[in-house]
Amino acid sequence: MSDLLLRNEPDCAGFAGEGAGVAIRLAEPMARYSLRARDAQVLEDLIGLAVPRAIGATLGDMACLGPDGWLLCASVGTVLPSGSDLPVAITDVSERAVRLLVEGPRAGEVLMAGCPIDLDRFAVGRATRTVFETVEIVVWRLRDDAFAVEVWRSFAPWLRLALVHAAG
Amino acid sequence: MTGFRLQLGGRVDRSRTVTFSFDGVRYQGFAGDTLASALLANGVSLFGRSFKYHRPRGLLAAGSEEPNALVSVTRGPGRFTPNLRATGVEIYEGLEAVSQNRWPSLKTDLGAVNDRLGMFLPAGFYNKTFMWPRSFWDKLYEPAIRKMAGLGDAPTEEDPDHYAATYAHCDLLIVGAGPAGIEAALEACGTDKRVVLIDEQDELGGGALSDPAQWAWLADSVARLEQAGNVTLLTRTTAFGYYHDNFIGAVERLTDHMTQPGEGAREKLWRIRAGEVVLAQGAIERPLVFAGNDVPGVMLASAARTYLHRHGVAVGKSVALMAAHDSGWHDAFAHARAGVKVAAIIDVRSEVDGALRVEAAALGITVHLGSSVIGVNGRHRVNGIEVCVGGRGAATRIACDTLLMAGGWTPSVHLWSHSKGSLAWRDDIGAYVPDKPNENVRCVGACSGKWDFGKGQVIDMLPTPRSPARIKAFVDFQNDVTAKDIKLAVREGFRSIEHIKRYTTNGMATDQGKTSNLNGLQIASQALGRPVVDVGLTTFRPPYTPQTFGALAGHAKDALFQPLRKSPIDGWAEANGAVFELVAQWRRARYFPRGRESMLAAVNRECRAVRSAVGMFDASTLGKIEVVGPDAAEFLNRMYTNPWKGLEPGRCRYGLLLKEDGFITDDGVSARLAPDRFHLTTTTGGAARVLNMMEDYLQTEWPDLNVWLTSTTEQWAVIAVQGPLARGVIAPLVEGIDLSPDAFPHMAVREGTICGVPTRLFRVSFTGELGFEINVPAAYGRAVWEAIHAAGKPFGIVPYGTEAMHVLRAEKGFIIVGQDTDGTVTPDDAGLGWAVGKKKPDFVGKRSLARPDIVAAGRKQLVGLLTDDPAEVLEEGAQIVADPNQAVPMTMIGHVTSSYWSEALGRSIALAVVAGGRGRMGEALFVPMPGRAIRATVSGMVFHDAEGARLNV
Repeated sequence: MSDLLLRNEPDCAGFAGEGAGVAIRLAEPMARYSLRARDAQVLEDLIGLAVPRAIGATLGDMACLGPDGWLLCASVGTVLPSGSDLPVAITDVSERAVRLLVEGPRAGEVLMAGCPIDLDRFAVGRATRTVFETVEIVVWRLRDDAFAVEVWRSFAPWLRLALVHAAG
Repeated sequence: MTGFRLQLGGRVDRSRTVTFSFDGVRYQGFAGDTLASALLANGVSLFGRSFKYHRPRGLLAAGSEEPNALVSVTRGPGRFTPNLRATGVEIYEGLEAVSQNRWPSLKTDLGAVNDRLGMFLPAGFYNKTFMWPRSFWDKLYEPAIRKMAGLGDAPTEEDPDHYAATYAHCDLLIVGAGPAGIEAALEACGTDKRVVLIDEQDELGGGALSDPAQWAWLADSVARLEQAGNVTLLTRTTAFGYYHDNFIGAVERLTDHMTQPGEGAREKLWRIRAGEVVLAQGAIERPLVFAGNDVPGVMLASAARTYLHRHGVAVGKSVALMAAHDSGWHDAFAHARAGVKVAAIIDVRSEVDGALRVEAAALGITVHLGSSVIGVNGRHRVNGIEVCVGGRGAATRIACDTLLMAGGWTPSVHLWSHSKGSLAWRDDIGAYVPDKPNENVRCVGACSGKWDFGKGQVIDMLPTPRSPARIKAFVDFQNDVTAKDIKLAVREGFRSIEHIKRYTTNGMATDQGKTSNLNGLQIASQALGRPVVDVGLTTFRPPYTPQTFGALAGHAKDALFQPLRKSPIDGWAEANGAVFELVAQWRRARYFPRGRESMLAAVNRECRAVRSAVGMFDASTLGKIEVVGPDAAEFLNRMYTNPWKGLEPGRCRYGLLLKEDGFITDDGVSARLAPDRFHLTTTTGGAARVLNMMEDYLQTEWPDLNVWLTSTTEQWAVIAVQGPLARGVIAPLVEGIDLSPDAFPHMAVREGTICGVPTRLFRVSFTGELGFEINVPAAYGRAVWEAIHAAGKPFGIVPYGTEAMHVLRAEKGFIIVGQDTDGTVTPDDAGLGWAVGKKKPDFVGKRSLARPDIVAAGRKQLVGLLTDDPAEVLEEGAQIVADPNQAVPMTMIGHVTSSYWSEALGRSIALAVVAGGRGRMGEALFVPMPGRAIRATVSGMVFHDAEGARLNV
């Protein structure tokens, strides 16, 4: 990718309110791939990475989001093979989403303002596709007090504002 | 005793005086008072006017079941809340409350003439009387009736408050923090269960707050709950609805009770998913039905005890009791012990528990057994009652200023019923109680029918010697429904309580019949001569008590109302003065005015640039779907009307998508990047719908296909560079792609780089000019846009918006799905028959295209329309007629779908759907407008470069 041209990110200024118990910021760019396969083994053989088999489980940079769907969020520059002629679909979606990092003791509470899943009982290392009010997101619990929220680029400013509103 | 405040007692804080006003008069109360208790303490008995008859009304109750004392509270601009129950309004310094539904004042209300005319206003009166003429209803009858009959005024200003919302999960949710609810919570203390205990009042305790004997237990219990780490206590929170799978909606009121509400949210919506629900909602005392039971000063006995013990307020100086249940006796005794004169106890039963009689005697209270109140004296306040024995004979007058009613108890089964739990009738208490649950829920305490308030007699109406047709004995206080209204409904043939309810409006007010449903049912049952269970039971629906729209909207207001999606290039457009329009959730640049240029001038300039030089357009919002897998071509072949299997990699094709009914639902140009990989485009507004539709077919109809769909709408920024000079603009920036016409023809796609950024470069055109659509990863969209803009300057490049795009495509007769189609247009109707694969065995919608009405002659077809006056631009949506001289209503044969000034043609152009349109070429039609009819001629849809020569350069 050209270094001569500037990347342009959605308007998502960091938030760390005084005593808010939560900080929200935009993560660095990542390589993202949507991976689909009828047989996980075929996918593993193709990409040379182990893929988690249980929905909601993660393994390294890879999250299993559905019976035949995975999301890889890896460092920029990660390139996967196209999988031509195999019963798989590998699609580069690096720029489709951005990642908001929601961190702090109130991180789960702030997300639950609009996310209907039980984040108190959402183990570290789990990831799932869900919603925040009407907006689709992928929530990935990185640590006890840190969540990664993957959201499509154009929804990110709204989501950031909604989270800041919930934190305030 | 000063006024009605007792010297001692109550849970109010007598060290903190609070000044407030009601109808402009200033009063004082104590912290811990409700508006109801504070006004009672000041001797106020008149709280409002009734809905229909404008009768003076006082307090009936002390809790959220109160039907009469509805007030409006105002606290500054936009902060006006009507229809609050005075029993639930906590007073604060400076509170301003006003009464409702009266004019000119609460004491002198001209609407009270309705009360005198009551005989002429039976149930169904409005329905029967104001039927004709029909045209009078909207302008005269309804506004006049609404003005007379009504609740508080609707707020007219924007609400400046904001509201919070959250989801919550718990293992045990307890609704109601009376003794039963608290016991349930205590049982779960210290376990690993997450417990939430919610109560609508400002402190925990429920009925125990009105019973000093339980206060020590209560204080101890609350302390234990507060110390337990696993219990969340939510006071001032109303569980308003119980939905599937133990999902409960509740609203927490955060600031309404505060003198200084501050900046915080006013209310918070809790959406709670609970493992188990315990309902401990208690029971509500039932009024008795007799003439004058709504005079201010007649109230529920239990409510009087609440005012006495919880607020330290006597409801009167001389109190009588009309009882059908033991509990009222204890309430009367409590008053006597507190030093309030009890004028008499009247009980409809001939025999009561001896202990009650002994205690009454000990307290010096006169008792009238087997008797009933048959009349109440006083208009704005009770001054006496008339009592007679057994409903016959001469009446005795007893002087008193308050009459308590003890008609027994009704378990609060509202939430239980929301959850679809079944109910069982119990004759002994004359009430429905929870029976079989439908969720993981149980009822405890009084709402399950278990209480120790004593025994009673279930009675529909007190015996009276007076003609039932002459008395107003109220059943539903809020909707002004009397016993005779219900009997009238039965006489008029209604048999089911569901019909009787709708005819009389019994139980249909904002209190949802908390005090009226069972009395209404008993009266109907008696009138019909059938048992209550055969008469039925009305449905309970959320909300349990009225809630604000703000609370239900939660965060969804102002900037958070819904996401405003912006393309990666939006910032540039904004900085360059674009005027925007909304397309679905996206905002798109509509045109880029220079200086004080008008929209028409800007669009004309933008169109000229594209036709004569080059323009650039942000097409990023187009929907994109990547279709990948060995069966990708097979899948698209089944979805789209035209053939896809033969499309070579590197080439594009226009795809037309139908619904099962054969009507056009979307279209777009798609490219085959590799044998097993397609890049689809959809309309901006259709992206999500098309993906859902395709997923639906894939998952339910063809799960055997090895193909997957991935939305890539936001992966790519798309820059359309269109115009005869387009190639020259991008050529210096593109690497790895031969742009020459032979190597890169129209409707082809290539991968390479632009400005060093990977691109999927499409050679396509929605303008009819040489054109490229440059897809680059979204984060680089703006930088590439700026680079192209800079490179295009020597060529006279002009950014153009959606309006010019619309004009340019209309000049070429390209349709916009959703503008030129409306869900009833087939490919043939739209002139797109060429895009339907005649040899294909099947595709979505194919069979519908053979339906008789789809192939019938005379269908509306899309055609061009040219006005006789070239300067006349038709209005989009305008109707079309063949003969403008017909009588109104005319026969309309179509309408204008698109209409613009075409700078290229120097005249107006329009697209229209017209019945049998293609058979009318050259025919003159008319567009009737106010005062005239515009003449126009039917033409083909392609107005510019019909042979397409400008594309292939």
